[in-house]
Amino acid sequence: MTAATATADERVAHVGLLRRILLKPEFGALIGAIVIFVFFASQSDVFRSAAGAANWLDVSSVLGLMAVPVALLMIGGHFDLSAGVQTGTAGLATGIMTTYWGLQLYAAWAVSLALMLTIGFINGFLVTRTGLPSFIITLGMFLGLQGLNLGVTKQVTNTVQVENLDLVPGYHALFNILGSTVTIGGAKFQIAIIWWIGFTIVASWILVKTRFGNWIFATGGEPNASKNVGVRTNRTTITLFMMVSFMAWFVGNTQIVRSGTIQAQVGIGQELYYIVAAVIGGCLLTGGYGSAIGASLGALIFGMTEVGIVNLNWNSDWFKLFVGVMLLLAVLANQFVRRFAEQARR
Amino acid sequence: MIGKRRAWVVVAVAVPMLVVSACSSRNAVNKPHNKSGGGSGGYGYKIAVVTHGGAGDSFWSIVKRGVDQAGKDMGDTVTYQSNGDPQQQSQLIDAAVNANPDGLVVSMANPEALRTSIQNAVKKGIPVITINSGEAQSKEYGALSHIGSDETVAGQAVGTELKKDGVKNAICVIQEAGNVGLEQRCAGVKATLGGSVTNLQVDNNNLQAAQSIIAAKLQSDKSIDGVVTLGAQVAAVAETAIASAGSSAKLVTFDLNATVAKDIESGKMLFAVDQQPYLQGYLAVVMLTQYKANLNVLGGGQPVLTGPNLITKENAAAVLPLAAGGTR
Amino acid sequence: MTDLEVKEVTDPQKADVPMLEIRDVTKTFGSVISLFEISTTVRAGQVTCVLGDNGAGKSTFIKILSGVHQPDSGQLLVDGVPTKFGTPRAALDAGIATVYQDLAMVPLMAIWRNFFLGSEPRKGWGPFKRFDAASAKKITRKEMADMGIDIRDPDQPVGTLSGGERQSVAIARAVHFGARLLILDEPTSALGVKQAGVVLKYIVQARDRGLGVIFITHNPHHAYPVGDRFLLLKRGRSLGDFAKSDISLPELTRLMAGGAELEALAHELERDPGELGEVGRELAQDTETLG
Repeated sequence: MTAATATADERVAHVGLLRRILLKPEFGALIGAIVIFVFFASQSDVFRSAAGAANWLDVSSVLGLMAVPVALLMIGGHFDLSAGVQTGTAGLATGIMTTYWGLQLYAAWAVSLALMLTIGFINGFLVTRTGLPSFIITLGMFLGLQGLNLGVTKQVTNTVQVENLDLVPGYHALFNILGSTVTIGGAKFQIAIIWWIGFTIVASWILVKTRFGNWIFATGGEPNASKNVGVRTNRTTITLFMMVSFMAWFVGNTQIVRSGTIQAQVGIGQELYYIVAAVIGGCLLTGGYGSAIGASLGALIFGMTEVGIVNLNWNSDWFKLFVGVMLLLAVLANQFVRRFAEQARR
Repeated sequence: MIGKRRAWVVVAVAVPMLVVSACSSRNAVNKPHNKSGGGSGGYGYKIAVVTHGGAGDSFWSIVKRGVDQAGKDMGDTVTYQSNGDPQQQSQLIDAAVNANPDGLVVSMANPEALRTSIQNAVKKGIPVITINSGEAQSKEYGALSHIGSDETVAGQAVGTELKKDGVKNAICVIQEAGNVGLEQRCAGVKATLGGSVTNLQVDNNNLQAAQSIIAAKLQSDKSIDGVVTLGAQVAAVAETAIASAGSSAKLVTFDLNATVAKDIESGKMLFAVDQQPYLQGYLAVVMLTQYKANLNVLGGGQPVLTGPNLITKENAAAVLPLAAGGTR
Repeated sequence: MTDLEVKEVTDPQKADVPMLEIRDVTKTFGSVISLFEISTTVRAGQVTCVLGDNGAGKSTFIKILSGVHQPDSGQLLVDGVPTKFGTPRAALDAGIATVYQDLAMVPLMAIWRNFFLGSEPRKGWGPFKRFDAASAKKITRKEMADMGIDIRDPDQPVGTLSGGERQSVAIARAVHFGARLLILDEPTSALGVKQAGVVLKYIVQARDRGLGVIFITHNPHHAYPVGDRFLLLKRGRSLGDFAKSDISLPELTRLMAGGAELEALAHELERDPGELGEVGRELAQDTETLG
């Protein structure tokens, strides 16, 4: 047996802790969030007040709740363009089943969960079986659900919204879970913010600390190689799509519970913002790399920007322009930080 | 394996049973009013309706209700198409005209883009009626009549009412960027309020964020004492935003739905301006039918006005069930 | 078959029953015969080289051994027992590890994640089971050291390693997970001279640890130094299954390239100091006429 001598590879320099932090995908998003916060907070006292914070955290939480599973799916190498519309389907389903068909509130809640998980399963199944790009498959689902949401709602309600969920027995308990507020510092913070933080932690733990998380990275990075070493890529992909649909169920129901009504066209167009939040958070569009915490930070940046612009009384006709510029800056900063960290270690 | 299959069969049978047993009429708080109403006019004309309304827009779904009901009452066959993009709308008009209808109903948010298509229809001898928007160009393009409510006039009416209620600094919430009619409403309010009116952009597809944005605006400028929304769905979230921002601003809206009627009744909203979209759809079909049957023309060369119609505390209660049924 | 077995018995150090025997395996795809009655053996502590140019059927051969395809006829015998590999997992469970040339690793992932991909160690109970990262990193570092590479930072993404280093990670992984038989798909084909030498060294180390190795290549100069047995494939057919003692390197090269043509070419290219080749003679004539 030849003695294997360990030859020190002179190119591998000792990697310090600071560099390791710089290299984490969420670091760029963290810097971006801090910069945006300082910018708006320094110019508007409303922004940095408790009431103001409750405001931008509210916007961020709704976006962030969906951005997290969308980011996980993106790391796994796929897109779900139907994510936004699915929130509508979930809320409308619960609303119609209770207020028009007389189903008990929690039973309707459970049935809409089953419905959403089925939609997620269909997405994942079609993607893995046909081998077609997920972009195309979920685009089809997006258009289909858009039509379904509107058609079924009109058929059942003769209008384009479902109302009066707040009159259904059992509503108040559900409201406490999903739609109530917590008063901190004199301002009312939506409970969805706490759910958002909780789900982010869970998703991050799954991604970084479990075997399934390893499979997510592998399936997104090199699906063929992974399959060859025994990673269950199909099962991983389908599970990821179902996770997005689960969150769409949660968010859609939060919406209808919070205000008691929901419109048929809710969520259309939001799917792109989920993807943007994930990309700001460090997710590669090609898959295999990214972070759930980063996606939440991306959503935070988005929320702070949307509300901050209003707080500064900038002309809101230019709103979309500001948002676009801010987002580009955030992504570029993210890119810059990562490249700097990569080069520094060489 | 058999054990697993049996388990699935049990689930497949038990779950629907459990679900059905959880049904109760106590939960069905919305009972749709299906007023089909008699009327077998038997005229048998084919009327094509092409509007610029978005599919999920509650306003246009009421127009469509009017169109459908008139079709039933008159015994006509009606088709309804819509697209917010002017070019695509003109293509829909061309397609409808190719099918040789007996009459055409069009709404013109961007009249110039639709000019050629409408004039082609007129040349072919198809009577055209315009509704809702485009009053200024209606006669010029050769339409028989215009049914609607001038957005600017409606805006001015709102401004005048608000002034009476003592509002000095209002925000006008625009939920669809670039919509000409919405801009006209806000401009009208500004013209007559006598105070300050600022426009605020939000997204109709993301009403939760819209709520936060309205709240943020109210927090940033404590002197705002009036909020004008341009759609019934936005009015609902504006109300929550006003409450969460701790503002005492007064809320009014254009267009109507059941929630708005309820809120006016309870005093949470001051008033709503309704242009009676049901009537716009209904009358258009009726007028075309009467023109074909009897060469009748309504209006005397002037537009037929369906608004502005104020819904205030006095009449809100009566309007509420109609709004809940989707016809007001 | 029998005369080859007789040759094996004369070496008393080798076991009687081969670890893997491929017997008359045939595979067709539609109308294309990818492999036709291919036979060879692999023994523990030995390297069997599978040689052939492009289109010889080498990749189909690997896919059959690793469970991706099933042979249309013929048998695979593991330790003398006829076996079927229905899935890649089945082959892995039988101790057959395949290291593919271009699909060995996930470049964006850290070395330790790649090392344990598909066989992640877990700690904890129920839904809270987590990936035991600490022991994964430790084992990775140790296994790589045993192969002769000092990985200071196992968090390094695999994509930053050189081609040869990536191969070595894949081989170390296979060895660690109890592979009895290692199939290497053209590990040296995309590497420079020194890197190729390094990979050959790892192959020898794996062999010396008691594994059987199937080394797929189109380069006889890489195969000959490390091989104990040579299977030559040409357009799906076997040109022969030879023990090292039965064949020389030039003979191997000649068989691979198709015999007579290569001889003529070699003769052309020969740089014998006393004799100019055909080309050289022509050149000399030209210079004279122009000179």
